Amino acid sequence: MLTIKILGSGCANCKKLEAVAREAATQANVEAEFIKVTDMKEIMAYDVMSTPALVINEKVVSSGRIPATADVIKLLTAA
Amino acid sequence: MDWMLKLLHGGAGSLASYLAAHVLLCLLPAFFIAGAMAALIPKASITRWLGRTTPAYVSYPAAALAGSLIAVCSCTIVPLFAGIYRKGAGIGPAVTFLFFAPAGNVMALAYTGSILGPEFAMARVVLCLLFGIGIGLLMSLIFWRDDATHDAETDDAFADQAQIAPAALGVLLSLVALLIAGTLKLWPLTSTVGTVTLPLSWAQAWQDTLFAWVPFDAAKGEEGVSLQGSVLIALLIMIATTAWKGMENIMDGANRWTWVAIGLAATTLLVAAARLTPVPGGLEFALTGRVLGVGLTLWAVWHFARQLPADDWQAWLWEAWRFVKQIFVLLIVGVFIVGMVRQLIRPEWIEAVAGSNTVQANAVAVGFGVFMYFPTLVEVPVARMFLDLGMHPGPLLAYLMADPELSLQSMLMVAAVIGRTKTAGYVSLVALFSMCAGFIYGSWIDGAILQSIAMALGLFSFVVAASYFWSRARGPINPQA
Repeated sequence: MLTIKILGSGCANCKKLEAVAREAATQANVEAEFIKVTDMKEIMAYDVMSTPALVINEKVVSSGRIPATADVIKLLTAA
Repeated sequence: MDWMLKLLHGGAGSLASYLAAHVLLCLLPAFFIAGAMAALIPKASITRWLGRTTPAYVSYPAAALAGSLIAVCSCTIVPLFAGIYRKGAGIGPAVTFLFFAPAGNVMALAYTGSILGPEFAMARVVLCLLFGIGIGLLMSLIFWRDDATHDAETDDAFADQAQIAPAALGVLLSLVALLIAGTLKLWPLTSTVGTVTLPLSWAQAWQDTLFAWVPFDAAKGEEGVSLQGSVLIALLIMIATTAWKGMENIMDGANRWTWVAIGLAATTLLVAAARLTPVPGGLEFALTGRVLGVGLTLWAVWHFARQLPADDWQAWLWEAWRFVKQIFVLLIVGVFIVGMVRQLIRPEWIEAVAGSNTVQANAVAVGFGVFMYFPTLVEVPVARMFLDLGMHPGPLLAYLMADPELSLQSMLMVAAVIGRTKTAGYVSLVALFSMCAGFIYGSWIDGAILQSIAMALGLFSFVVAASYFWSRARGPINPQA
């Protein structure tokens, strides 16, 4: 069971990232809990300078961009 | 009923002539440039100058640079602002960044230049830069105590180093060249290389139909839709439909529609650069120097873009498409509404309130900017409307400076990050400085002697510099360091 966090203030890119991550989780057949983090203070705690950022099990794996679905699948299976 | 029709007609007319006219050659490349900046410039290449140990003469210009290069939308502005404030260079550079970003980014610059004229774009950038740094310094001066008691963090978030890849730089520079080739009104771009008359006998009749649909009134500054404009609108609609299929999932690779959409975008730029004039019995196609310039720069963009890794150009196209979705729709709705409202406002009202460059006029303009919230870039067509209705350029600039900085949305955002007291300080400084900027620009337009303007700006720079050294004399901002 993975914990996947999407950091971002709720702009278009954050929604796209969430969609990509959910799609990847379904395709990789990984069970995951999705949490959207919109509070600026919480986001800053992860030391990211640009959103959207993807956090898997409290580790920042990408920030400031939307990774391809295939890349997220790799990250999920590696975690 | 008649009244409603007149309003709708005003809106549709303003939208049609807006889409058909000069705007495309500026907006289309600008979207691609904004996308390239968001996707291809590594943020660390600039943010590493924003750590808390960086001296002020580096961090303030770097903050302004960050505002103009990597902040085109709120997704970047909010986290970067909070990051600079909490973990980096402190409140001063953070405020400079926040102030300069809406006015200094490439979209705003290109758009202001094409709608309101290059002088306005220049004035907006120079005054925003100067006052942005000034406001930042004043804020750090007023609230220096808070900066000192800041979270004792390390420079980790700012330590990353990154370089822009040569191919990415090539893409960016060729896109800027494309923008310049498309918009500059200079020889040899404006010269005509050759003309061909195409035997399209319906051209004249179609043009008459267009003028019947969208009547133009040069006295009121309204433009009609030319035949060329109707071709461009058709191309735009085709781009919109193909881009939806080609760009939405660009992250997983390009498909057939992606290439169609890109080809159509290039065609649109070339058609907009040429001149199509209906003549009796046909359509005259004039090959202008601009077509050659646009063609050449398009080729350069293509040449460099092919060298980008797949990840990079996909991210670039995605960001560009996202800006189109986010901003273009708002612009279209905004321009439509501006066209409707314009039918209601009488020039005499504007003339009476802000027809000349007075302190009251500037204050009213700033107040209007604070209470009206227009989405990104819509403030520019609104400003054009006021200009056409007889507003003085001075108060207009004051409005242009205050509106994007002081909208309710941005105030709430700032308050969430830095607290209410500092937000109040920021807001009053911005209001004050916008009035000054408008007044200075207005008196320059009115023909005040250059010396007195230079003296005012020089005095301001002196006060800012003095306050900077004064704050330095009080000791290091960060006692932990």
